[in-house]
Amino acid sequence: MPWYSGDRGPGQLARAIGGVVKDARRVRRGWHWDSPRPRTWPERGAVVPAPASDLGWARQEPVRTLRWLIQRGLLLPFTEVMAHPKVEGREWVRELERPVIFAANHSSHADTSLILHALSDRARDRTVVAAAADYWFKRPLLGNLVSLFLNTFPFSRTGGAQAQLNASSRLLKSGWNLVLFPEGSRSPDGRIQEFKPGVGHLANETGTPVVPMHIRGAYRVMPRGQKLPLPGPVRVRIGKPMAPQAKEGSREFTARVEKAVRALAAEPRQPEIQGGWIERWRALKPREPEYQE
Amino acid sequence: MARPGAVIEVDRNTPPVLFQFGEGVRLEKLPLGARIVYPPDPLEPIAHAERAIKRALGKPLEDDPLKSLLRRGMKLTIAFDDLSLPLPPMAAPDVRQLVMEEVVDMAAEAGVEDIHLIAALGLHRRMTADEIRHIVGDRIFSTFWPDRLYQHDGEDPEANVYIGKTAQGEEVTLHKRAAESDLVVYVNLTLVPMDGGHKSMSTGLATYRGIRAHHNVKTLLGSRSYMNPPDSALHHSCIRQGQLIEDTVRVFHIETTVNNHAFPSIANFMQKRETDWTAQDQAMFLATKQLTDFAPPAVKRNFFHAMRAPYGLTGVNAGQVDAVHEKTLENVRNQISVRVEGQTDVVTIGVPYLGPYNVNAPMNPVLVVCMGLGYLFNFYRHKPVLRKGGVLILTHPCRYEFDAVQHPSYIDFYDEVLADTTAPLEIEAKYELRFAEDPWFRQLYRKSHAYHGAHPFYAWYWAAHAMEHAGDIIIVGGEREVVHRLGFKCATTLEDAFEMAEQTVGRHPSVTHMRMPPILLADVE
Repeated sequence: MPWYSGDRGPGQLARAIGGVVKDARRVRRGWHWDSPRPRTWPERGAVVPAPASDLGWARQEPVRTLRWLIQRGLLLPFTEVMAHPKVEGREWVRELERPVIFAANHSSHADTSLILHALSDRARDRTVVAAAADYWFKRPLLGNLVSLFLNTFPFSRTGGAQAQLNASSRLLKSGWNLVLFPEGSRSPDGRIQEFKPGVGHLANETGTPVVPMHIRGAYRVMPRGQKLPLPGPVRVRIGKPMAPQAKEGSREFTARVEKAVRALAAEPRQPEIQGGWIERWRALKPREPEYQE
Repeated sequence: MARPGAVIEVDRNTPPVLFQFGEGVRLEKLPLGARIVYPPDPLEPIAHAERAIKRALGKPLEDDPLKSLLRRGMKLTIAFDDLSLPLPPMAAPDVRQLVMEEVVDMAAEAGVEDIHLIAALGLHRRMTADEIRHIVGDRIFSTFWPDRLYQHDGEDPEANVYIGKTAQGEEVTLHKRAAESDLVVYVNLTLVPMDGGHKSMSTGLATYRGIRAHHNVKTLLGSRSYMNPPDSALHHSCIRQGQLIEDTVRVFHIETTVNNHAFPSIANFMQKRETDWTAQDQAMFLATKQLTDFAPPAVKRNFFHAMRAPYGLTGVNAGQVDAVHEKTLENVRNQISVRVEGQTDVVTIGVPYLGPYNVNAPMNPVLVVCMGLGYLFNFYRHKPVLRKGGVLILTHPCRYEFDAVQHPSYIDFYDEVLADTTAPLEIEAKYELRFAEDPWFRQLYRKSHAYHGAHPFYAWYWAAHAMEHAGDIIIVGGEREVVHRLGFKCATTLEDAFEMAEQTVGRHPSVTHMRMPPILLADVE
């Protein structure tokens, strides 16, 4: 019978409050709230991390609808105005039949919104972004806010291969595309850094194709250390999806993805990475309208 | 069944008639007994455009099916007309897009790896990426732009080759990629009889050297009119050049025709005869009139240039150029021909806001001349509607207004050349080469969106025949200084213009009003 049911009257309520106050006093005295930490106590140990959350709430309704509104109303128009991104190879992300990993170079905080801007509406609505757990989720409020805007989830950079694989593969298997920056962190000088093998490992373990992407110009828009973006032209080039070959190791596949991203940075078109015209033409074939009986 | 064109005689009950007035409209009362020539109503469009295109490519005229001409390892070039056609620009999808998608589909199926698409713009301005996207559609644009879909550059010495001379000594040049291709597919849209045929390749993919062979005063004076190819020296010259090109490279021509449904429903009153105007059309006219009377030019321009024409495909023919073009001309004439009995002393024409050379730009005074005296006057077969020595009356505000990006050479032409003389032959001899070889104009043509340095000269020569034919030319509503610089007379109202015309053609002249657009071709008996 709860205290507020009224059966036992106000006396019971007073007793309940008294109990809480008593407990609080006990804790205050026990842990020295109003005096310094006793010297006799041993040094404070490392904080036991909270069990990792994959922020499932951010991928459920009504948060998805809210994010759709935020992205359409704020994020994408802002990206368009600031960077006027020129996108090459949209055909490869227009009609994705299965989840993919978008692997892009990383030189700026603007990269994520540029990638989302380059995707088709359908692909964007089914895309999660791997955000460094030790950077974005150090402060829970910031982490949750970024998740609301960009659909991020905490990606452990320190927890070893298995930790990365668990959360990511669960998302890929449930039909989400994954944006991953294989360099691990933003480039200090705008140049592409060495790729970490996580992307190859993830692709190999889950059998997911990787779509190489290269973003040019984002470093000038918002380099490392800069708080606010500056307007500047950006080009996003998307390559055709790459799948790990049979008996290809994670490191070899990562090296291949890295090579593709570096090739996309080159000036002329890269038919072997971006696809020949016939492949692209076929990828752009309009969907047949579905007639209802 | 669409109503054919008609010639109506003005009586007491005839409503006032619509005159195009640049970026504006006017209603004018014509004198009793005057004639109004109306274009035919739009023909019924083909119901399944894609199917008609497939059929045309599968059963071409005097040529093999396109599919059999495509093979792996070949060099294929698709050339297409630029945005000077159709006018106003067509509502998406453009018929060129539909045709090109079919051709590219066939090329993909055949495994043709080496394919280029070239906008055949001759000496016209380069189009913006959005303008090209509108013509070719998203799918082609995304697949090929910018490395395999690009625009012809008539001033790039590396990208053009000299083919030779015709028997008449006309030089022939061609875009290098086209000349080196195993097959060129030319995708054309013919709106008026002047377009298409051999002229497509011989001007669209040529350089100044090749184009000046027929774009000159002598040839244009010998074209009576160039809207009727059999009587046009311009077309004879293009045919000779085209035949030389056909000897050099295999060309498969695809020509399309559209009906004359030139205005969207919002501007239905421009499309219809005045006697057909409903209450809604009258209201739209009034609204448009008020807007264009009071709005600043930039607002009016945006309003007019945003219009997209709901043209419908009326024919598509493919194969050998002459066989194809004959069919095309037949289709065009079915749509725009009107029988007119005899010539008249006075012809009135309203000059609209848009011509082939001012898409997304104001129509500058030189282009007003090109449009009124060049194009609109020349819409005839056999003989002009205006008798020799008669008076031509045009309505246009004719402001000193130039687009510095698109028409830089026009500004100098107006300020420098027309200040000196307006005689086409003298202008040609004295100034053309200097403008054509001017390094700055050349640079702007190649890298910006400017017409070639020689282009204002061609616009002027286009009007040479009308200038020679008419006894007097009056522009109603134009700025006095500008009209005088052009060498014409200026009138404030149409009544004044008729009054002035009496001095040339005498009292009680016969008057004919050509109610354009939509386009009509007067078949004068």
